[in-house]
Parts: sequence; C-alpha cells; structure tokens
Amino acid sequence: MGNILEVKDLCKTYVIDKRQNNVLRNVSFDVDEGDMVAIMGPSGSGKSTLLYSVSGMDLATSGSVFFDGQDIMKLDKNTLAKKRLDEMGFIFQQMYMMKNLTILDNILLPAIESKKSKESRAEKVSRAEALMRKLSIIEVADNDINEVSGGQLQRACICRSMINHPKLLFADEPTGALNRASSTEVMNELVRLNDEGTTIMMVTHDAKVASRCKRVLYILDGTIKGEYTAPTDEKLSDMDRERRLNNWLLDFGW
Amino acid sequence: MYLNILKRDLKRNRTINMILLLFTILATVFVASGLNNVVTILNGTDYYFEKAKLLDYIVFTQFGDGGVRSILEHSKQVKNFREEYCIWGSNDDVTIKGKKLITKNNNTLVLQPLEEDQLHFFLADNTRLRKVKQGEVYVTSGILNKNHAKVGDILRIQLQGVDLSLQIAGEIKDALLGSDMMGNTRLIMNSKDYQVFASSEKVKPYEGRIFHVATDNTKALASELTKASNILFSSDRSMIKMAYVMDMIVAMIVLVLSICLIIVSFVILRFVIAFTIQGEYREIGVMKAIGIKNSRIRRLYIVKYCVMACVGGVIGFFVSIPFGNMLIASVSTKMVLGNDNGHGIHAIGTMLVMVLMVWVAYLCTGNVKKLTPVDAIRSGQTGERYQKKSGYRLCHSHVQTPLYMAVNDVLSAPRRYLTIWLAFFLCSIFMLGIVLVASTVRSKNLITCFGKESDIYIPDAKLIKMNVMTDDGKEQLKESYRSMEKDLEEKGIPGKVSMEVWYKYSCEVDGEAYSVIFQQNTETKATDYRYTEGTAPQNANEIAITPTIGEQLGVGIGDTVTIDFGTEKRKCMVTAMFQSMNQLGKVARLHEDAPTSMAYASAMMAYQIDFADHPDEKEITERIQTIKKMYDISGIYDAAGYCVDCMRVADTMDSVVVLLLIITGIVVILVTMLMERSFISAELGQIALLKAIGFTNRSVWKWHVCRFLLVAVLAECSAVVLTVPVTKLWCDPIWAMMGATDVHYYFDPIKILLIYPGIILGITLVTIGISAWKTWTIKGADLVNVE
Repeated sequence: MGNILEVKDLCKTYVIDKRQNNVLRNVSFDVDEGDMVAIMGPSGSGKSTLLYSVSGMDLATSGSVFFDGQDIMKLDKNTLAKKRLDEMGFIFQQMYMMKNLTILDNILLPAIESKKSKESRAEKVSRAEALMRKLSIIEVADNDINEVSGGQLQRACICRSMINHPKLLFADEPTGALNRASSTEVMNELVRLNDEGTTIMMVTHDAKVASRCKRVLYILDGTIKGEYTAPTDEKLSDMDRERRLNNWLLDFGW
Repeated sequence: MYLNILKRDLKRNRTINMILLLFTILATVFVASGLNNVVTILNGTDYYFEKAKLLDYIVFTQFGDGGVRSILEHSKQVKNFREEYCIWGSNDDVTIKGKKLITKNNNTLVLQPLEEDQLHFFLADNTRLRKVKQGEVYVTSGILNKNHAKVGDILRIQLQGVDLSLQIAGEIKDALLGSDMMGNTRLIMNSKDYQVFASSEKVKPYEGRIFHVATDNTKALASELTKASNILFSSDRSMIKMAYVMDMIVAMIVLVLSICLIIVSFVILRFVIAFTIQGEYREIGVMKAIGIKNSRIRRLYIVKYCVMACVGGVIGFFVSIPFGNMLIASVSTKMVLGNDNGHGIHAIGTMLVMVLMVWVAYLCTGNVKKLTPVDAIRSGQTGERYQKKSGYRLCHSHVQTPLYMAVNDVLSAPRRYLTIWLAFFLCSIFMLGIVLVASTVRSKNLITCFGKESDIYIPDAKLIKMNVMTDDGKEQLKESYRSMEKDLEEKGIPGKVSMEVWYKYSCEVDGEAYSVIFQQNTETKATDYRYTEGTAPQNANEIAITPTIGEQLGVGIGDTVTIDFGTEKRKCMVTAMFQSMNQLGKVARLHEDAPTSMAYASAMMAYQIDFADHPDEKEITERIQTIKKMYDISGIYDAAGYCVDCMRVADTMDSVVVLLLIITGIVVILVTMLMERSFISAELGQIALLKAIGFTNRSVWKWHVCRFLLVAVLAECSAVVLTVPVTKLWCDPIWAMMGATDVHYYFDPIKILLIYPGIILGITLVTIGISAWKTWTIKGADLVNVE
C-alpha cells in the first residue's frame, strides 16, 4: 500500500500583535492507505492546526503536504475545495450541521454538491440511506438536527463525511463532546470503516480513543515527539491496548 | 463590573453593534423626517400663506382702485387692509432672449416693485426676497424653464411705448399667483425701474391695485364690494388655497412615503434587536448559570440598547434634518413648505425611536425570565419542536445546492425573511404606484375627465378669440370652426372642429340659488361623452352632473334643477353622473341643444379636431406638426398631451418617481447590506462548515445571493401584482379631491413589469453580491473559532 498523505517539514506561524507564534515546526510524517492514525498531545500543542493544515482547510506557512501524490499547498482555493469535497471527509468535535436541513439532507448535501459521480439524485439518496442504516440512524433521517441525541448527531456527521467515498477521513476530537456510551459507538463505527478500507486521521486527547487506532503520533510544541504503533495481536483486549498506549504516553509526561 | 461587560460587548460584537447602530440611525432619520414632513404637509398652504402675509380676502382692480379703497376704509367687516400697486400687461409685451415670453395658464402679466409692506416673495431656497437691484427682475417660478431661459438672461418689456431691458436675477415663489391654477406671471423689479413704467401717461390706464384684506366675514365683504367698479378678480383665501391642490397632492405623496418609511424602520429595528438579542442567549445563559438575577441581566441589555439608541438617535437627528428638507424641497418648487416647530418635531421623532428601541429591547429580553441557563446556552433551542421547518427537502429537489439552501432557508424561517420582504415590498409598491399614477397622468386615460376624446386639441390663446363672448358669439364661434375645417381641408386633412365652452348660470334647487359652471359642445352630442351612472342627456331639458355638484346642490339622478339661461328659465332633469377634473369637479354638462348664450360664457377650452379619416398615431403626430406650421403656434396636443397640459403635474410626478426610486434604492441597499452582515455573523459556523466540507467560495456566495434575490423577486412580484389595487386604495381619494371618481389607471407594462422592478432587483443583486463577498474571507478552519 502507498502513502495517501505525505507531510514534509510543515511549519505554521501565526503573527498576533506583531509577535510570531510558531504553532507547527518542521512536522513530517506519512499516512498509508488504510491506516488509522491518531494525533495526540496536550492542549495548545498544535494538533488541530496540524489537522487543518494537512487537510487544506488552512494554509501552512511552509513545507509540503502531498495528498494522493499531489502537493495541496500548490493548489488554488477552488481545486482544494473540490478535493475536500470529493476525496476527503471531515468529522468535528462540535457536530456542526446546517440548521435548516434534516439529518438526511445534511448527509446528502456534499453528495449533491459533488460532481464526482454520475449517480442520479435518487441513487445518492439511496446511498445516504444505506449509510444511515449501517450506522443505525435511519430512523432519524427526517428529524431536525435538534431532535436527535449527540451520539446520533455525530454518527450523522460520520455518514456525511463518508457520503462521497473519501480517500482520507479527518476527525477532530470526534468523541470530545459525547458521553462514554456514545463515544464507544462512534469509535466502533470509525474502526469498522477503517476495517472496510477507509483511511482515518484523527486528533484526540483521549487515550482510550487513540488506543483503537493503528498508530499514534505525539505532538508537543508543534513538533512530533514520538510515534506509537499499536500491537497487531488480535487477542489483546481493548483495556490492554489502552494500558500499553498509556505506558508509552507516560514517557512524554502524559 | 456591568460597565466592563458593556464595554467588552461593544468591542467584541463590533460588527453586530455597528449594524444595530446603523439601523438606529436609519430609523431615526426616517421617523424624525417623516413625522416632520407629515406635520409640514398637513399645514402646507396655511404655513405658506402666513409666511407670505397673505390675508383673508384679495381684490384685483384695473384702471385705478375702482373705489375699493373707500369701501374697505368704511367697511365694518375689515380689520385692516394692504394696498399694492401694479401694472397689468400681457405676454405680448415681453421677450426673453428675443423670443416672446411664454407664460403659464393665461397671458396676463403683473409688474410690481418690491416693497417692504407687501406680499412676501421667496427664492428657491425659501429665503425671503428682500432686495431687487436696479436693472434686475425676478420672475414667477417655472417661467425660466418654460422659456428655456436662465438667470442672467435679458428680459425686455415694451409696454405702451416704454421699453426697458432687465436682467433676470432669479425666480420667486409667489403665494398669491404662483400656483398653476392661478397661473399669472409676476415680474418683480426695483422701484426705480417700476417708476419708468408708472410715470408714463400711456401706461396709466393699465395701472391697477391688489388689495389684501383681513376680515372675519368674507361673504359680507364680497357683497359690499359689488358696488366697486373695475374689479378684475376677487377671492377669499380658501380659493387661493384650492389653487394649490395639485401641489398639495404631490406633497401628499411625500406624506404617504414618509409613513411607508416609518413602518419599514420600525419593522426592521424590531427584527434587528430581536435578532441580536437571540445571538446573546449563550452569554445570558452563562450569567444565569453563575447566579445573576434575571432583572440584572435584563437591565444590562436594556442599558446597552439604551446607549445604542442615544448614540444612534443623536446622529440620526442631525441627518434627518437635511434629509427631510430634501424630500419636501423636491415637491414644493412653487410653495414654501415647512413648520416653525421643525426641530422640535425632529426631536420628538428621535425620542420616539429611542423609546421604541428600549421598549423592544425590554420585550425581547422577556425570554430571559422563561429560559433556564441550559436553554439559554443552547441559544434558546430546547431540543423540542413540534413543527417542521420546511417541507422542501433536498432529497426531493432538483435544483443546485446553493439555490436549494436559499429556498429552504426562506421556507424554514419565513418570519426572518418576511421582514426583508416587507421592507422591499412597501417601498416597491409605493414606487410602482407613483409610476402608475405618473403613467396615467401622461396617458389619455384621463381625457374623459376633461372632455370628449378627440384626435387633437388646440388650447392656444392666439387662436381662441375671447371677444366672441357676446350675445352673437355662438355664430362667430361656428364660423371659426368652419374656417378652420376649410384650412385643414386645403392641407388634405379632413376633420370636424368643435370646442367645449363653459357657461356660468345660476340654478335653483328647492328655493336655494347656486352658481354653476356648465359645459357644452354644440358640435358634438351629449351621448358622445362617458358617464359613470345613468343615461346621457337626450334633449335640452336634461343635464348630467358630477358627484361634487350633486353633493353641493343636494340632487341626484331623477331630480330637477331650474337653470336660468338668461333668456329663459328651464327645469332640467338630472339624467346622468359623470366625472370631471375641470374646476375640481364642480361642473355640469348641458345637452347640445340647450339654449346657451356666449354672453354667459366664462371660459373657452380648446379647439378639438376629430379627423374624418381616422389616422393612426404616427399620422396624427405629423398632422400636429403641419397645423403648428399653419397657424404658427406651439400648443397643439394629442389626447395624452392635452391631459398633461390640463393637469400640469406630469413633470413634477416624473421628478417624484426619480426621487422615490432613489429613496427605494437607498432603503434596499441599506436593508440588504445590514441584514446580510447580520446573517453572516449569525451563520459564521455554517459557512465555515460548508467551506470545510468542500463547498467552494462561489457556492457559498451563491447561496447567500440567491436567498436575498429570492426575497427581492417575491417582493417585486407581489408589489407588481398588487400595484393597481393598492394604488387605487390610496390614490383614488386623491383623484376624488380633484373630481375624478372613476379613474382607469394606465398600466405601462414596460415600466411596471420591467424597468422599475428590474432596477430594484439590479440594485439588490449588486448590493447582496458585494455584501456577501464577506463570506469569501471565512475559512473552514474558522470552525475552531465559532462558539
């Protein structure tokens, strides 16, 4: 399998009140197709900035980001937007949705906007419904966004992110606003999607969530301090996986 | 602490606070100037007459004072009076730039010196004319335009051998003679220049007087003055006031406009306050959560809006004064409109907006009591909703996503967009209404209000010889018809010539005597005219009347009126009702065989020509040119042109249309700009989300543009559909004041369906296009910053 994402010497600098703030400093890493990578680190370490920079939502100051072999930092805004629409998926901590659309319509929105496939609108609707069925939220398809639980809403966000068959799914604290039960449900879905071949890169500060990923990158002060590869032994329980990750994190003072 | 919270809020929510401030200023400008305009217009003529020192009764004499002074000096009815000297002339005596002076309604000119103790005249900027330099002359407002002249041109007066050239120094607003209905042209000059004429023996017979009398009993005074001789014209103040009816009608349009703007301001202000308070639910929730009392929270917001109202109110107050003056000035070229309490009324309007703003803020913060801290943190959304937002679903839609989202937003939050719709609709329907009225005034639809429809009309005084107003005048008049028909025949223009003549006869109904103007055209049939009720007079003993006359005489169809024709008295039956704008509807119509005599004629209207070969419009235009050359006259009109000539408000109406278009444009620009900025601020998260998931800047921009454009299109469509019924609603009473009770509006499809709605939509498109550009600056990564 090749790299879907290749990040080289990525730097991001904000200037606030004439003071330079280096949020990312020469960050380099790869994400293979079918991988599931978690970015961990304390608050303010640059996790979200890294996610937004590599996904093209925000432009980095220097360095390069190769997405599927193409340097996205050299793309114009429209091409970048098209890439995000057709080839990337996004899940956010706050479960942002369009307020005036139903759950189904919110999921359908990127599919209708995308010109990637020649599917008819009815086929796109069927696909959205199939996704919802898969994530067990089909019964809330016609509900408004404020008529469903947080867990259902985040699963709807996952459906929306998956509707255009993205090559890479970015998730920014996908379980950050959920309770334990909902959090487990959402992670189960993400793991299943990864098992089905979707590459996932997520930002989290929850070791339990990160322990379900194949790799973990630890970032501190804008620099990747370490990389953890999860054991491939399928007999290991989730608790053991979490314990091993926690042990690794202890080295960074976590 | 509260002051700190307030300060931080003003800083942090700078955009929203700025929008609110702008709306407050806008509302204050519209309300304060609107209120002042309403008061100004309602007191219009009275204020003008007071300013001009026009008294209760006016008498014009020729050949000296005709004994009027003596009567006034001894009359018990007279409180005091003023005597002004003048010289009567005609437009034949005056040239501007070598061309004969074109006057207004009639040919009469009044030459007068400027003196301190006389009627006050005003310049275009409403300041009083206090001095006329020797060698200069001021002319009645409108004359320069009519003669294509300008200030500085030379006006030459050649009166009975006295020849004097004066430089035109400007135009004056003349309360007594300045209205279109009075229409006399007054030339105001320096006393020394006036003496050049007054000292000439040959001019003496043309010298007259204008008496301004203060009295409480004009009727008794008029009766006493019947003993005087050489009275050219006498009138009480109410008649002079009536002469300004056309100007007042145009001013009424500003009144209606002001009311429209006041409604728009209040609706928008209420919306913006409610909208901004909704955006602060989260902070309210936090304050509630930490235990701050409801009343303290409410007070904080009320104080904020109070500060906003004060700042906006003060700025709005100062802007409202020139804005209101501009509106009034645009419709009062002949009058000095205003009121002595102008600034006070502006201040009341400002206070009204401020109080209303605080009151709306008080009402809108009422929710603070009902909400729990959690509800407030959830922006007032409790999670329960029993009503679907919109039935329009993306999965069933076949349009592009930006358009879908625009339609869905409008359907989901109709109340929010109703405010914008209402603002656009109110301004547009009023503007289209004025366009409709202006088109009607310029069309031939009103011709039946002035007489019978003919192919062309010649009201030129050069052809209409007033000396036929004698016993045998009817025959002379008929001869003039035949002579004109012969002239036309020679030019290959076959046609029938006729003229409507007005007669003043006294009538008797139930023992009460009245003086009524009757119209008759002996060359046409009474059945050729349009009647709104009943059947046309069939013989000399039948008449038709207007509703105004019916009301005045207390008669209706089937009643009889005894008319004294001078030679005989006849009992005539009222058989029909008709509408007429002649004499503001105070006229009746006689059968063509009625025994009239030109000795009783009070006015001759226009030669009307009905072509025998029914030419098309193009041919009529060509024939008008031919006839103009034949008789060397300029005033020949087709039916529409004759209506314009009779109404004399068409040009003013056109300028009002332009003014309204500008105001509507300003309102549309401000509402669109400010609302869009409010929406962008409230929807920052949604815009960032769309950007994050891959929507292009163009798609997001299109969504916002489509949304406003959709509302604007809906507003324009509803305005177009409702233009005629709504215009009838507010304008029919105005027509009725002029005597027209059944007006058929001329719906110009190009103007009403295309040009004006197109301009408004164009303005909306450009404004929203520019305002929505702000969405381009929002990035997907901004989601992190959304609260």
